[in-house]
Amino acid sequence: MSKVILKDNDHKLFNTDKMFYKEFPSDFRQIRYFTLLIVQKAPPEIKELNLLEQQISELIKNAVKHGNKSNPEKKIKVWYFFSQDETRLVVEDEGAGFTKIDEWNEFNSKRQDCLENNDFERLADYVAYTTEESDYHDGGNAMFAALEFWNEGVVFTEKANCVAVGKTYPKKQKGITIGE
Amino acid sequence: MKSNDIYIIDVNGEMDLYNSYKLKDLVIKMLDKKVNKFIINLNNVEYIDSSGIGALIFICSTLKKSNLNLYISNIRGSVKKVIELTKLTGYLPLTGTVQEALELLKNV
Repeated sequence: MSKVILKDNDHKLFNTDKMFYKEFPSDFRQIRYFTLLIVQKAPPEIKELNLLEQQISELIKNAVKHGNKSNPEKKIKVWYFFSQDETRLVVEDEGAGFTKIDEWNEFNSKRQDCLENNDFERLADYVAYTTEESDYHDGGNAMFAALEFWNEGVVFTEKANCVAVGKTYPKKQKGITIGE
Repeated sequence: MKSNDIYIIDVNGEMDLYNSYKLKDLVIKMLDKKVNKFIINLNNVEYIDSSGIGALIFICSTLKKSNLNLYISNIRGSVKKVIELTKLTGYLPLTGTVQEALELLKNV
């Protein structure tokens, strides 16, 4: 079965104990700056920091642009935790919520079918998820990559204005065995 | 521009939520000028986000519909990773180098 975006208020990824916290105004121009303020807490051992920054930036952009409609009066709240083994993030906005999760999952499942069957002709209809609110700048592909990147899951609250994601990194071999 | 000319776009910098529309605008402009062979060179792009990927998808789909030719060359680093995460390596017409793209377009 292909991966899906979950809806679950009680999911463990919503546990914000011991996480750092910041809040930002919904200023579209500063999305990448806000992201850098968060990513600077990541330990240097994390590989592909650029990719991590990009994935976090997408969630912040969704909250600022699609959630709060770039209204600077509205805040976004971000909880974050980084270690060498794990990254977790919770992003909450003051918007109406991502109400089309079921529709998105269905769309993504059809997209996965095309990919599995190498049906690139049909895939053309599923390369971007757009709604009547999408504009010229929206790629419509951020959450496809998010589901792949955040290997511990992508979970929304029932109200769907708050998303939690997690990624674990494979543990490094810390010692060697030199005989029993 | 002659019909056989190949238009190579060297993209520099970051294809992010603030900049990616420029590439779409440029390609649309060149379509008006009847360019029909494009190479997009991403060698100097260090960062791409969903808007950048969206721009590549838009360009690819637009050109495909009109039966025009496109290759996207030199994806590397995090740009390559993001394209892989989006699983579009089979959909986008990728080549390793601009030279390879030129070879492929030579006989079109």
